[in-house]
Amino acid sequence: MLKKLFVDFKNGLWRENPIIVLVIGMCPTLAVTNTVENGLAMGIATSFVLLSSEIVISTFKNYIPNNVRIPSFILIIATFVTFTDYFLKAFFPDIAASLSLFIPLIVVNCLILGRQEAFASKNPTHRAIADALGMGLGFTWVLVLLSAVRELLGMGSIFGIEILGSWYQPMVIMVLPAGAFISLGILVGLMNYLKRRGN
Amino acid sequence: MDTKISKLILTLTVIGIISAIALSFVYQWTTPYIEQHQMEAREEALRDVIPKAQEYEEVEKEGQIFFEGYNSGGNRTGVAMIASGPGYQNIIELMVGVNLNSQKVYGIKILTHEETPGLGARITGDDYKENYIDKPFGDYNVVKREPQSELEVEAIAGATISSKSVAKIVENAIEQIQDVYGGGA
Amino acid sequence: MVEEFRVVLLVFLSTVLVNNFILVKFLGICPFLGVSKQVETAFSMGLATTFVMTLTAAATWLINTYILVAFNLPFLRYVSFIIVIASLVQFVEMFIRKSSPVLYKALGIFLPLITTNCAILGLALLIPLNGYNFITSVVFGLGAGIGFTLAIVLMAGLREKLEFGDVPEVLKGVPITLILAGLMAMAFMGFSGLISI
Repeated sequence: MLKKLFVDFKNGLWRENPIIVLVIGMCPTLAVTNTVENGLAMGIATSFVLLSSEIVISTFKNYIPNNVRIPSFILIIATFVTFTDYFLKAFFPDIAASLSLFIPLIVVNCLILGRQEAFASKNPTHRAIADALGMGLGFTWVLVLLSAVRELLGMGSIFGIEILGSWYQPMVIMVLPAGAFISLGILVGLMNYLKRRGN
Repeated sequence: MDTKISKLILTLTVIGIISAIALSFVYQWTTPYIEQHQMEAREEALRDVIPKAQEYEEVEKEGQIFFEGYNSGGNRTGVAMIASGPGYQNIIELMVGVNLNSQKVYGIKILTHEETPGLGARITGDDYKENYIDKPFGDYNVVKREPQSELEVEAIAGATISSKSVAKIVENAIEQIQDVYGGGA
Repeated sequence: MVEEFRVVLLVFLSTVLVNNFILVKFLGICPFLGVSKQVETAFSMGLATTFVMTLTAAATWLINTYILVAFNLPFLRYVSFIIVIASLVQFVEMFIRKSSPVLYKALGIFLPLITTNCAILGLALLIPLNGYNFITSVVFGLGAGIGFTLAIVLMAGLREKLEFGDVPEVLKGVPITLILAGLMAMAFMGFSGLISI
């Protein structure tokens, strides 16, 4: 039983990682990874929405008619996203300001809707929780890794703390849109290479 | 078929109603905190741009909102306003505070911008903002070296357009304040 | 009147080039990566998205102004916008299927994908943030759609050529597309500072 739950959890971390394997949820992955703080906050916010909507949907799945499945899911997700948005604005105004538009856009993050469709609507609540935690963590660690690389190379700091010292000439391109695309491309390529070696 | 459609509509309606009720509670719960943050942020900006004042007042004159700062004796020490204009990427919004007696700028505070991180975004940094502290009113000249006259503003290296945009917004704001308040105190 | 026209025109140009939804604002990355293998399909996708974006801009502006702001219900913004977008897409799909089978054949399969395209919701949310009036909002929607089409068609053109290139095995597919997008984003940076609103 526990072992099975662990398999559900582990799935999202690597084998079916939402970003590097399934390649979904790309917009926030590129947009908010210019600093580690933003990346981490976005990962946590997305995980929270994923977890709460998976719990609700897996619990009430038998009451939702099949034809209105998707609209119902989107409604539930949008409700949790609004909650998250107001919560951050009230208690973490700085984070809310720097993520701005990308908090509401969690509504249309394919990762969230995709997991409801593929997992929560077919499995019991405890397995849905394991899945949501795994996928959320899988999403978060890639965001943090990517933002660490971009912040370090682009501004010479991590979490806003200077790491590389004054001799380092920051590569501003890394914190710009172009740097986001290129570093994610290289990261996915690197993961492909590691997977290939593993096989 | 009929029952089916009604069941579909019922499901969505129920979810919609639950969501609306839940969110209205969230809204009521969080709004006071959000408003407090906004007020604090504005207070902080005002303290930056009219440093010597004890109390601030919001006044509307000729369809424009101004902020007046008063010292402990109840005398007006400065006037501030929020102004915006195009930057390099998008609109830059900032607050300018001026001393009408000495005809000088107290300082500026950038409120929102989308300039390039690491380059144009340095308009929020102290190095650039210091340019405007105690600056006399007039037409500013953005230069790429140490400023030599009082009306020169030193540009940020690699972000001349952002630097010029801010100077232009400040110039316009001062003109507006002078139009409404006249030259003197 | 002339002044207003100027503002509208500048909003249009700035949305297409300077603040391109895909390459600068990171909105609509999923279809950009997923549907950019061939120029023809990319163009159809762009067309369908532009159509929905223009309608969305109009519909959400009306809802925001006359319902959400009028009755002070800002907390229902996300929920109501996503419902409007989903129903709009559904409606457009039904309408096109009935009225023009040819167009339906070209755009049909893309329409359901558009609901979860974050560029559409992003557009709807940016309009109240920017405080545009009705006409400017519609033009903003149109510009965003054209900018989206431009980026996705250019990318498809590059990827068609890339078919003949010798790409390292591990970079095939998503990684090389992302790197290409990075180069395109750099090229589009040249438009920054071009237009001042």
